[in-house]
Amino acid sequence: MISIQIELDDHTAIQFQEDLLEKIHETGAKGVVIDLSTVDIIDSYIAKILGDVVKMSDLLGAKVVLTGIRPAVAIILTDLGIRLNNISTALDLEKGLAKLKQDLGG
Amino acid sequence: MPKVVIKYIKDKRKEINEAWMRKMAEELPEFPNYRAPNQNLSNANDNFVDVIYTYLLNIENTDDVRDFIKKIMKLEVPINYLSIGLQVFRRVVMEVIKRSEKDPENLLELYEHTDRVVEPIFNQLIKDTTETWERTISIQKSELLELSAPLIPILDRISVMPLVGTIDTERAKLIMENLLQGVIDHHAEVVLIDITGVPVVDTMVAHHIIQASEAVRLVGSKCILVGIRPEIAQTIVNLGIELDQFPTKSSLQRGIEEALKITERKVITITEGNGKQ
Repeated sequence: MISIQIELDDHTAIQFQEDLLEKIHETGAKGVVIDLSTVDIIDSYIAKILGDVVKMSDLLGAKVVLTGIRPAVAIILTDLGIRLNNISTALDLEKGLAKLKQDLGG
Repeated sequence: MPKVVIKYIKDKRKEINEAWMRKMAEELPEFPNYRAPNQNLSNANDNFVDVIYTYLLNIENTDDVRDFIKKIMKLEVPINYLSIGLQVFRRVVMEVIKRSEKDPENLLELYEHTDRVVEPIFNQLIKDTTETWERTISIQKSELLELSAPLIPILDRISVMPLVGTIDTERAKLIMENLLQGVIDHHAEVVLIDITGVPVVDTMVAHHIIQASEAVRLVGSKCILVGIRPEIAQTIVNLGIELDQFPTKSSLQRGIEEALKITERKVITITEGNGKQ
């Protein structure tokens, strides 16, 4: 399991995507928690990358849980119509990890 | 300053007054002698003309149209009555002038002056009334917003948002913000949105609710829609609104039961006597 705390901007987003996938591949992680509590604002580009990262991780066999999404970010995501339908979410890191354990265990 | 017109109005006061009364009776037969509240003896027509006169006689030293309008408004007559009254007043004055002025050049000029006398009254009247309306509406709006969307924590990790009244886009935004902030603040894992008090659920309202629940899911919580009345269920289905992806319950009570189930708790009766839970 990998937990990542990041501050996303256009430059780091792609970098983050590559790093994450590389790490998943290296460690063979089965679950990833992405903690977004430090992200105050999000644009469509970052949102798209986020959605992509989740799908890509899925392809690599790692289950993603997003945690700590802020209200403003959630509103932007829904306004943009980014559904993130099959992604688990949790209120904070702790609960995210618990959820991941539960999902992987079950 | 169109003093000549004022002079006419002053000199022919009686004539104008009578003609005005007659015409008003024709224009608005429903208020032949409109009596404003609290005015037992004199009727509003007299007062109205009086106020106009007071204004016109003082127009040389003060141009305070505002004051005048305030006085008119105090008569508590309907606004359309005021507007028609003023128009009739202008027409009557013009007729009086027409009768005594023979020179067409002068006549035209006097007409224009009459217009200038009445116009500011109109403008101010409209400005004042619209301002009052707008103020009232904005006050009501903000009051409504205050009552709008409280999120109430009822149990640990369970919160309820009861919605009462019609939901428009502005309110939906507020609902969404309160909902999400509340979820974070109270660490709510389950949020029950109670729409018992929402009179109409159309596609727009449904859309807002779906969006809100979607956003709630993103911040890591779960939404249950409760309080769906039979007619609301009919509208939702008839409009073809898809509410498949999120759970609904008929009443708040059922919703709470479901919420407890989700958070892996249940309500149990403590049996009297043995104190066992």
